[in-house]
Parts: sequence; structure tokens; C-alpha cells
Amino acid sequence: MKARYLAAGAALVLLVAVMVVATGSLPSRTVATNGGGPRTPWGDPDLQGVWRYEAAIALERPAEFKGREFLTDEEVAARARVEEEQASSRLAGLEGAAVGRRSVAESPIRGNEYNSFWQDHGRPRKIYKQTSLIVDPRDGQIPFTPEAEKADARAAARYGVGPFESYLDPDTGERCLTDGVTALMWQGPNGGHNRIVQSPGFVTILHEEYRDRRIIPLEGRPHGNIRQWFGDAVGRWEGETLVVETTNFIDRTNYEWANLWTRPSPTLRLVERFTRSGADVIDYRITVEDPATFARPWTAEIPISRLPDDTQIYEYACHEGNYAMANLLAGARADAAKAKPAAK
Amino acid sequence: MRRGARNALLAVAIGAVGVAVGMHMPSVSSQSQAYQPPRTADGKPDLNGIWQALNTANYDIEAHAARPAMALIPAPARSGIPGLTRATPVDLPAEPVRSLGAVGGVPAGESVVEGGEIPYQPWAAARKKENSEHWLERDPEIKCFMPGVPRATYMPYPFQILQGTSKILIAYEFAGTTRTIHLDEVGDSPSETWMGWSRGRWDGDTLVVDVNSFNDQTWFDRAGNFHSEALHVVERYTRISPDHLMYEATIEDPKVFTRPWKIRMPLYRRLEEGKRILEYKCVEFVEQLMYGHLGVIDPATGRPNP
Repeated sequence: MKARYLAAGAALVLLVAVMVVATGSLPSRTVATNGGGPRTPWGDPDLQGVWRYEAAIALERPAEFKGREFLTDEEVAARARVEEEQASSRLAGLEGAAVGRRSVAESPIRGNEYNSFWQDHGRPRKIYKQTSLIVDPRDGQIPFTPEAEKADARAAARYGVGPFESYLDPDTGERCLTDGVTALMWQGPNGGHNRIVQSPGFVTILHEEYRDRRIIPLEGRPHGNIRQWFGDAVGRWEGETLVVETTNFIDRTNYEWANLWTRPSPTLRLVERFTRSGADVIDYRITVEDPATFARPWTAEIPISRLPDDTQIYEYACHEGNYAMANLLAGARADAAKAKPAAK
Repeated sequence: MRRGARNALLAVAIGAVGVAVGMHMPSVSSQSQAYQPPRTADGKPDLNGIWQALNTANYDIEAHAARPAMALIPAPARSGIPGLTRATPVDLPAEPVRSLGAVGGVPAGESVVEGGEIPYQPWAAARKKENSEHWLERDPEIKCFMPGVPRATYMPYPFQILQGTSKILIAYEFAGTTRTIHLDEVGDSPSETWMGWSRGRWDGDTLVVDVNSFNDQTWFDRAGNFHSEALHVVERYTRISPDHLMYEATIEDPKVFTRPWKIRMPLYRRLEEGKRILEYKCVEFVEQLMYGHLGVIDPATGRPNP
């Protein structure tokens, strides 16, 4: 969570600038047909563009909303007001809490406060009634197995603390590997940026962070038999909805993950549904099944927003500039050396 | 010169008959007139598919005789000691790669550079030589860094062209790197990059990609051929048959070369049914090399580092 964020910092600042300049109107660049949304020239529903998650819904339902799946109209209005205020503060050049950034004291990660600019959304977040992204189970909580619950607590206690004895100790993101495919559509700096490009027989998703990439074939081919970090995705159209099933994940459960629930294992299976419910919205729904981590499958519903046509995603040279890894290990060795002389 | 002579001798000695794949191909213009490529729904030549180069350019884009290893130490001199009166006629594999034997050797290959040689400025020719002598420490491929352009095209890994409506993606297997070729209007790149900033247009049936905004970190091959951040590449992708693309790249870098120069090679369609681009997520493969010695413990040995 250190150098990897700074790598794309300049790019994002620019992106935000582009978005401020751009007007809200999105020129149509796809072939519209009667019935349904835009189509590609070869007749598939068109999902192309740059998309990101712009809502502020917690994955798991916060305690304050226990027993409530939806906000009231009044709560929605109040939140929308705050977003608007923060947006105008941002335009006025204000900083910190005025624009919704966490203060140093509130930062969830010790020593990571300087990264708080990643929490700047650039434009008002969209307000939805959902109180959690997880819609099943109904309590809005990740149904961890008892073992996974323990592993999650252990990982949380280690986060930003260590020990960092070798390059295997930082999490997969800090190692510039990936944060996992599960949350690809809605996680990453400022909600994650994904470019969808379609070509006949394929949907490709480029995720800016870690330059993660999914090439999803639509030809009805069976799953292969090679296990990969990103598994083996097979897609199909069900009417206007792109359905993607992914299996054959590699086993990396012994690595540290920023979020335990995104780790791949041979028993992980994802079913995703992408439905363009409006010109600028994909209703994204993901069902996650993995007996190695979860007591039962769980499902999240995530609204994803289309960004203006001229939005770009930029090269993410994480590993190429991973000075943090060397510095982290050098720091741990210096600490170890300091602790040692007493024994002499 | 002496080394060249030695290498030629070696090629004969070990019978590595540098299979002359050769560049005896008709010119693109005459071929493209002859071949009418299939078209996409919007009428453009269809470049979709999984492609791969089949040559030795990633070892060295210039002509090269076979040699025993990618990293060499100079042939030891005749010592005069009884039993060591005969010097080896070839350079020997450097210690870190010695145990690979024939697996670690370099196959001979023709130059893919038009006219044969890269027109380096004198200082740059010296730097290239130095790079090749420090290949193990300097080649970005060894560290799983993004390979840059044009090198990504002729690495020994397939890549997939995914032809969208306003963007064309080139998805390389090596290091999971993807280029977005913008067919629509885009601004300039906000910063320098490893894989360049690619703007495409159609010139007849040829996809022409103008690539700039490079950093100075990538190489052209394992022989130390290099460029500066002033690199500008213009690529041309032309269908010449159902299963072949002709690839040409004009390389311009006034800080390093005396004039622009060109490379050219065919690319071959991977015909296996259901062929996919698989993961070659090599960051994980090089962590031991790059960071093993830095930790409190080296995972390779399980022991504390000295």
C-alpha cells in the first residue's frame, strides 16, 4: 500500500482534472438499436468504456444498519447533500474533512496517512439505498468459516505491522501481484478503474491497478484445466446480460492478502452478471463460492458507473518501481540487527 | 572481430547449422495487393487472433552466430601449464548459467534489422557493448519488467489482438502486459511509460501505430541493444495470408542512433484449437532473485541472511 499507490498518482490527478473539465453529457459512440441498449457492430450488447464504482456502500453492513437492508429516503437525501457539499468544497480548493478525506487520526492504516489522497473521489459519490453491497446472506456479512474468520483476524493484526522477514510477508498487493479477481470491478484507488473492450467472441476487462487483465471468451468453450491466479473465465450472453463463470483458480491461500475474501483457491468459483441498466450504469452482481473460505456462497450487488468517453486508464508499473519492498525488508533487518547486539 | 571469428568457428564446430530462416519474403506492398484480408463488421481488416513471432530476435535483433550461453566469460588464455597448453577457442558460459548446458545456449539468427546493423552513435555503440557484458544485471526481462515496444512483439510468448471499435488491445502473455491502441482522439500521455502511448490509424489495409512517451528502461533484446526516452516507434501490422501478419517497425531516437532504422518480421497465427493467452505472472518468479538477499531470512534457504 505504499509505493504502489504513488506509481499511478500523477495519472490519477490528471484523470480527476479531465473529469472536472468534462461535462456530464456522454456522446453516444455506439450503434443504438430498437429495444435494449447500445450494440457492438457485430450485434452484442455494448459494455465498452471505462467504468468505476462510485457509490459509498460498505461491502458488509455496518452495525448502525443492523437489521436494515435499505436507507430511508431522508437518509438518502442527507447523504446526497453531504456529497454535494464536499464536491463544491473540492472545487473551492479545500482539503481534509471538508472534502470527505479521512484525517490522520481516523486513518484505518497506521503510518499510511499520506495515502489519504486516494480517498478523493473527484466527483460526488452516487447515493444508493443499499446498506451493504452483500445482499445474500440477508445479514449483509461475509459468511466466513470459523477458520477463515481466525485467519482474517490474524491478517488484520499483521497489516502494516509485520513481521516482514522476507518478501513473502507483505500482502500480494504490496508484492505487486494482484489484490485478487473477486473485487476487481469495485476496488482499487478511488473505486477502481476498469476498461471494457469487446471484440467478436471476447470481452476483455483491463483493471488499472496491477494492470490486471481478464480475457473472457464467449464462444461456449469448456473450462480448461490450467489453474491460474485469475482462474479460467467463460462468458455467455443471456439476453442483455453478460454472465461469466470462473473456476480453475490457483492455490495462493498461504499468501498474505489485503482482503482475505479475495484470495484464490482451487475450490473458488465466481459467477458474475453484468447488466447495462442505463447509459451510464452496469448492475454488477457477483456470487462467490469457496468452501475453503466461506461457510456458504455469498452474493454482492454493485452499481458501476461509466466515466466520460475521454477517460483513460494508465500504465501501472508497480513491480518496476517497487522500492517499498527493498525498503521494508531493509528496515526489518535494521530492526533485527538492533535487537541482536544485546545477546553478544 | 576476433570474437566474431571465434563464434563462426564454434558454429561450424558444434554443427549448429544456423537454420537460415532468412528474410526472403516478398515485399508487403505486393503481398497485400495480392491478399484480401477478411473484414470486421465495420469493414476494417480483421487482425483478431493469437499471434507469435518465430525467430531469434529476442536474443539479438542483429545477425548472430550461435554461442554457448547468454552470459559469457572470456576464453581463458593459454597458461603454459602442462595439460593446459590449449586455450578454448570460444568464450565460456558465465558461472550463474553454466549448469544449464545446451539449454542455456543461444541459437544463431539472421538480422531482423533492415540493412543488417543498427546505426548507433559512437558513444551508444560502446554502451551497447557494455550492456551485453553486463547482461545478467541489466536486462529488464530478467527482472520481469515490462518489455517495451517493439520487443514485446518478438519475445517467445504469444500475444492476442483484440479488435474493439475505438480501441484495439494487444494482450501479451509475458508479464501480463497489455497495450491499448487508441483509434479515437486522445490527448498526450501524462508521463513516460514502459510500453509507450499508442495511437493507431488505418493506412489502407495496414494498421499503423504511432508509439511515443517511452522511458529509457527497456531494451530491444538480450544483446543489450537499447534506446533513450526519446524513442519513437511507428509500427505497421499487415495481414499477408490467413495465418500471417507482416510486422514492421521504424525506430527513431536521435539521442542514440544516427538515423531512423527498421525491423521487419512475419508473425504467425497460433492455430491450436481453443488457444488462449495464459498467465505468465513472472513477478512471483523473480522475487527470490531480486529480494531474497534483502530479508531477515532468505526463503530459498530458510536461514538468516548474513
